Amino acid sequence: MKSDEKPNSWERVMRILGGFEIAVICLVLLFIHTFYSTLEQQWLGLYGTIQKYFDLESLWVIPTNRHDKAICIPLPGAYWVMALLTLNMTIGGIIRMKKGWKKLGILISHFSIVFMMIAGGVSSLSKIEGNMIVVEGQKSDFAMKSHAPSIELAKYGEDGLREEPLVVPPESLQELEPSDTLTANFSDLGLVMKITGFHEASNLFQEQTGNEKIDEDGPTVDGFFLREAEWNKSNELANMAGAYATVEDTEGNLIQKLVVWMGNPTPVTFTYKGARYAVSMVSEIWPMPFEVELHKSVGEYYPGTTRPSSFESTISKVVGEGKEEVREDYKIFMNNPMRHGGFTLFQANWSPTGEGDRPYSGFAIVTNPSDQWPKYALYAATLGLTGHFVYMLIRYAGRSTRKSKPQPQES
Amino acid sequence: MSLSVELKYKKLRWAFVCLFLLVEVVLVGVAIRGSIIPDKIPEVSGYSKWDSEVVEAADYVPVQEGGRVKPFSSLARFKLLGYLGSTKVKIKVGDRTEKIGPTEWLLDCLFRPELAHQLPVFRVDDTKLLKGIGVESEDRRARLAFNDFLVVASTTDETAADFGKTAVERLKDRFDQIREKRQREAERRAKMTPKQIREEEYSKTAEELDLEEEENEKEDFLVKLHGQLNEYQYFTSFLDFARTEVILENVPEGVFGNDGRDPKKLSTWVSRFDRLRLLMQLVQQQGQQVPEEIAELFGVIEKKINSARGGVKWLPPREKDNEEWWSIGDQFISVLEDQSFNWQTVRTDLETVEQMKSSGEEIPDNLKSVARWGKLLEDMARLEVLVAASKVNNSNEFENELAKWRDEVTGRAEDRGEVAKVDPEPGFLTKMIQTITPLGKINGEVNYYNRNYFMNALVLFLIAFLISAVGWLVVDGKAAVGIRWGSIIFYVLAFFYLAWGITHRSVLMGRPPVGNLYDTIPFITAGAVLVLGISELLSRRKILLSVGAVLGVAGMFLTFRYEAGNAADHMDPLVAVLKSNFWLATHVVTVTIGYSGGLMACFLSAIYAHVCLAGLSRDEKGFTRFMTRSVYGIVCFTLLFSLVGTVLGGIWANDSWGRFWGWDPKENGALLIVLWSLIILHSRIAGWLGTWGIHLCSIFGGAVVGFSWWHVNMLEVGLHSYGFIKGGSVIWLFYVACLIALLVGVAALVLEKMRKAELKQNREEEAVAGKPVQA
Repeated sequence: MKSDEKPNSWERVMRILGGFEIAVICLVLLFIHTFYSTLEQQWLGLYGTIQKYFDLESLWVIPTNRHDKAICIPLPGAYWVMALLTLNMTIGGIIRMKKGWKKLGILISHFSIVFMMIAGGVSSLSKIEGNMIVVEGQKSDFAMKSHAPSIELAKYGEDGLREEPLVVPPESLQELEPSDTLTANFSDLGLVMKITGFHEASNLFQEQTGNEKIDEDGPTVDGFFLREAEWNKSNELANMAGAYATVEDTEGNLIQKLVVWMGNPTPVTFTYKGARYAVSMVSEIWPMPFEVELHKSVGEYYPGTTRPSSFESTISKVVGEGKEEVREDYKIFMNNPMRHGGFTLFQANWSPTGEGDRPYSGFAIVTNPSDQWPKYALYAATLGLTGHFVYMLIRYAGRSTRKSKPQPQES
Repeated sequence: MSLSVELKYKKLRWAFVCLFLLVEVVLVGVAIRGSIIPDKIPEVSGYSKWDSEVVEAADYVPVQEGGRVKPFSSLARFKLLGYLGSTKVKIKVGDRTEKIGPTEWLLDCLFRPELAHQLPVFRVDDTKLLKGIGVESEDRRARLAFNDFLVVASTTDETAADFGKTAVERLKDRFDQIREKRQREAERRAKMTPKQIREEEYSKTAEELDLEEEENEKEDFLVKLHGQLNEYQYFTSFLDFARTEVILENVPEGVFGNDGRDPKKLSTWVSRFDRLRLLMQLVQQQGQQVPEEIAELFGVIEKKINSARGGVKWLPPREKDNEEWWSIGDQFISVLEDQSFNWQTVRTDLETVEQMKSSGEEIPDNLKSVARWGKLLEDMARLEVLVAASKVNNSNEFENELAKWRDEVTGRAEDRGEVAKVDPEPGFLTKMIQTITPLGKINGEVNYYNRNYFMNALVLFLIAFLISAVGWLVVDGKAAVGIRWGSIIFYVLAFFYLAWGITHRSVLMGRPPVGNLYDTIPFITAGAVLVLGISELLSRRKILLSVGAVLGVAGMFLTFRYEAGNAADHMDPLVAVLKSNFWLATHVVTVTIGYSGGLMACFLSAIYAHVCLAGLSRDEKGFTRFMTRSVYGIVCFTLLFSLVGTVLGGIWANDSWGRFWGWDPKENGALLIVLWSLIILHSRIAGWLGTWGIHLCSIFGGAVVGFSWWHVNMLEVGLHSYGFIKGGSVIWLFYVACLIALLVGVAALVLEKMRKAELKQNREEEAVAGKPVQA
């Protein structure tokens, strides 16, 4: 485009989208988001803050103080601000930025940041997290998804073992308000389950033990009732979801009222037409494409202190069965995870008392397609920024040295 | 006309300068006030200082504390810092004022508890808080001795339950009450719904919230003081067993066998413990009454062993698989709790163990507890000799015994591989190596503190600053050259002292130089001093050297203030997740250099604002261009290191916790610096930030760095729990300082604009009036 030509509408839109104005506004907004979200973690917790500020569904956000009073004008959701910034950087980099050797470093770092932001977007949309607990000497081929309470209904077979459970998935439960009722049809079993009074964090109380009930509490079922609990910010795994489940037959006849709570070590059961059923509130089961066999689980503390010095697990990753079985040995410890087929296993915790006094290891499991992208982006950004910075420094030093040389005095 | 305008604005400028200087002096005063206590030095009659040889022998005794083996002097240093907030106890002995160091104080606790009880080592910032336990003081801030807490309360509000109790006992009661109250509160809240919790919180008035906070602070203080007094009592009583004299008038010597031991020593009766137990069993079987003296003796053994369970852990166990060092009490209890220990055969088993030891045989598992028992008896006897020697006026004997004890513990630690063998008579080169390498960690650590690197650096930076300040006034001639070189030499020397201290620390810890908040302070200071020094070499403007020297002084001051306030041994090992030299050397170092850049830019801009307000610059345009370009360059530097450091942190988090970015406060803090630097740079390129815009933003950037570096640790949320800190009034002072610098900048900007506008108007009026226009 020649300079004397007037830009058309499309070009004008692109100039605005790729302009400094949008870049600076987005950066300022992100700065405010980051600042307030840091402060609010004191009373909302990390999970609550991420949901409030950085979730895809947060179109607007109002920063509040610990008394829930607004302390800032409404801001657009950080996710969308970041999306706009990514767009701005891409368009700005392609269209507006001057190209040439002198700007090469900036250009590289620009696009590597864009790549990093895209990695963040991919991660927030497709990353799945969970936890796997394995006792020393045992195997596991599944994990429990984080923040994903689900209700499982399983029939006991003639051998006394539970059959494959039918699941009310977390997506259905997480949308529920305590006053809402979710009806789940288990037509194969001829059962209908009505779920109400759902809380993501709750406590289960026994009425006889002197726990005074309050208006907000749910009904008492078999002597127990649920009460919403404050979200545990420091240990989010300690938040126990709970709900009331009313089981009916397809005609609407009541079979059993139940309280299902994540903290229960065993499922609650009922009998219908001679068959026994188990209902439990559990984190959603996440099957793994491999087995983890824990050979040795070691936790060490610095002598005379409760400060951990190392948690280490010696495992075999087992893929396939029988003749096709392939085993690979790994040592997982802090800062040294195991990666396999898009899954990453980290040493998350350790306890000396698992089953039968054997220690167990807790592994955090993550699958994230953009797992390593930030690393590649960092290499590029460092290269670009360092190159540019060194170039500018040499130029500056050259100028300064020339200027600081004593000038010949005029006679 | 324009001259009168200049004069008017000069007056205005100086009025502002005086006002801001006054505010800054008040701010510095507030900062210093926090560490000043009325200098009332108590009299401790009969106190005599330990000989330097004794102190030196004690300095090097290895002990275990905080998860590592360290010198006795380090243990003493951080305990005294924790109690007193200082490493010197001042007392009056007759007409003299004596200063007692940490090792001397801990020696007093161990060997002269009656004197230690008189030393004012407990710092109390608000003595009103002690009223409830019956301790009163004229001053709000005071240093109290343990004896001050032994006074039986006689206040009028004394309740019946408190009657006749000492302050220590009343404090224990208060501690129990606080613990119970907090437990009840936690249980009550656990049963509440979030709605109830919110309603309860919102229903409180501001006054009620303040009162609650005040009450919590008061309780926290009492809990802390209770812990300190408890620990102190362990230090002063854990060698009580060695001071105990056993007198049994009705038990004839020889009843328990003639073992040649001194019957007045407690170790003798512990060595006869098998027979004492047997006697008790026989008497009980026959339904007879236990002789009173024997029952009392059991009571004494139980009491003394219990008091010997805390204190200094300086007994490395014989078993190498047991990492935890013991005190006498621990060792005794471990034998009592060992099911495999057989009291009936202990004497013959001990002989077997001795034979095996002399023939160099491996002690089998079933005899390990017997070997431990044998060592316990030896250690008790050794410590009794040591304590007896401490009572003798001839200090040579005590020095010899203490040196023997040091060598004994060192030898045992060497056998366990916890302390590397050190050449007792090293040559020059070996001595140099042993000074700072893990070869002689105990020696190296004692030397590290004795050398006082950071204090020396502070003094040298101060001298460098003063010389460079003189250089502002002397511009030409040989004197100016001399002054310039003088300031450079002191600056370089100060930097080397600082860098040497950081290196020495790093080698001792066996890890990169930055692993905790304390480490960051000297490192950031060194980074800033180095960059400003190099920039000075390039620019030769004098100002950067002065700024670097001031930053050096401020950094060293903060180092001492934080060490005294935090009172934690920052050489203690790191938690598992931080044990990665690669990541510490890359992420932590890089991000810390980024902090350093942000603070440098802030400081330069603050200087610029002050100089402009006072109109001190001779070459205004050149100065402005130079300062603005420097700040801009440093903001670029900050962005580079902060961005790379932050992303490296994300990659580390991905390897440790399974997520690259989690919006954790520490991560957010680092991101804020990156974002702010980007805002400055992009606004500058877009042409929205002029000279003053850059400087004001850079000053605000300093506050952002302060938030990220310091404040996020005080929020006590997030995954970086190993970095949490309590309190931290320093950061608020820093924010206020940034605010003042911002106001100075705004005032300078406004005055400059007004002056220019008025001059322009004058020129226009003069032009209209037909007067010649002044250039």
